[in-house]
Amino acid sequence: MRLIHVAVLGLALTLGGCATRNSGLYDWGGYDAMLYGAYKDPSTVGANMQKLQLHIDKLEQGKQKVPPGLYADLGMLELQSGDKDKAQAHFRKERELWPESAGLMDALINNGSMPKAKEAKS
Amino acid sequence: MKALSSLSTALAALLLAGCVSPPAKTDLSAFNAAKPRSILVVPAANKSLDVDAPNYLLTTLTVPLAEKGYYVFPVHTAKTVLEQEGFYDGDQVQKQPPESLAKLFGADAVLYVTINRWDAQYAVIQTTVTVDFDYRLVYKDGTEIWKANKKMQYTPQQQNTGNPLANLIAAAVTAAMQRAKPNYMPLAQMANVQVLAVEPTAIPDGPYKTVN
Repeated sequence: MRLIHVAVLGLALTLGGCATRNSGLYDWGGYDAMLYGAYKDPSTVGANMQKLQLHIDKLEQGKQKVPPGLYADLGMLELQSGDKDKAQAHFRKERELWPESAGLMDALINNGSMPKAKEAKS
Repeated sequence: MKALSSLSTALAALLLAGCVSPPAKTDLSAFNAAKPRSILVVPAANKSLDVDAPNYLLTTLTVPLAEKGYYVFPVHTAKTVLEQEGFYDGDQVQKQPPESLAKLFGADAVLYVTINRWDAQYAVIQTTVTVDFDYRLVYKDGTEIWKANKKMQYTPQQQNTGNPLANLIAAAVTAAMQRAKPNYMPLAQMANVQVLAVEPTAIPDGPYKTVN
């Protein structure tokens, strides 16, 4: 009987032993799939932006750390669809949360017209 | 009694085998000396015939790199900024000195990927889907700190990679390939996870993963 416990423990160790090494740091909420969707079918950009915003809202409400790049890439998609204010707010959040992004985010925040070529006409 | 004890022995053996790494490990001395915190992923150079491959691949690199503990620059933002600078494809970007790319973004290191293969070969019995990537990580001073190649080919028999995430993705690959049109994404994801997180090519854990 006790040996069964040992066996179960062994199994648990087998499953758990390696898994800890790869337990996720972040909840991505399908960020990669949203980006992929937006590239594969540009007509889905709006829907994918919405999904990304909802995921970020969920993380913020749950006091979970938003993974690197999510605020900024959402901001860039917003900038490309002409919503400069929302974009800047998201660039600021990326900068605040991830100090490594400061140089790039400052450039994007200060140079509000970036990217010029893709700015929407309204 | 005996059966049970041999069962636990077998499980113990499984436990040990599951985590053992092959001895031939990538030289990480330059990587460890550089200690990058942030990584810029630039659009891949493309030697395959699929023009969409670089965009699709770009979406699969952030997660495994960030899960290793690095700040990964937003890939869509970086791609857009590079286009503003006049660089519309990976081949062009990869000809730029890594020092200037790192400086432009304030990145510690730049990840260059070359797509060697991204194709499906149709045969009578089964379709073989192949992805093959060269990876190169260059520090902001121009020093190459890590280099690896990964080729993944879809075969029906999955093997235990020793990495639960890779195993999980392997199962997704099997599912994806059952559709008529090959989906390269799980295969590309598996290649990235294996090359970055599984020995012998794995990169060291970054600052957000290192427990202090």
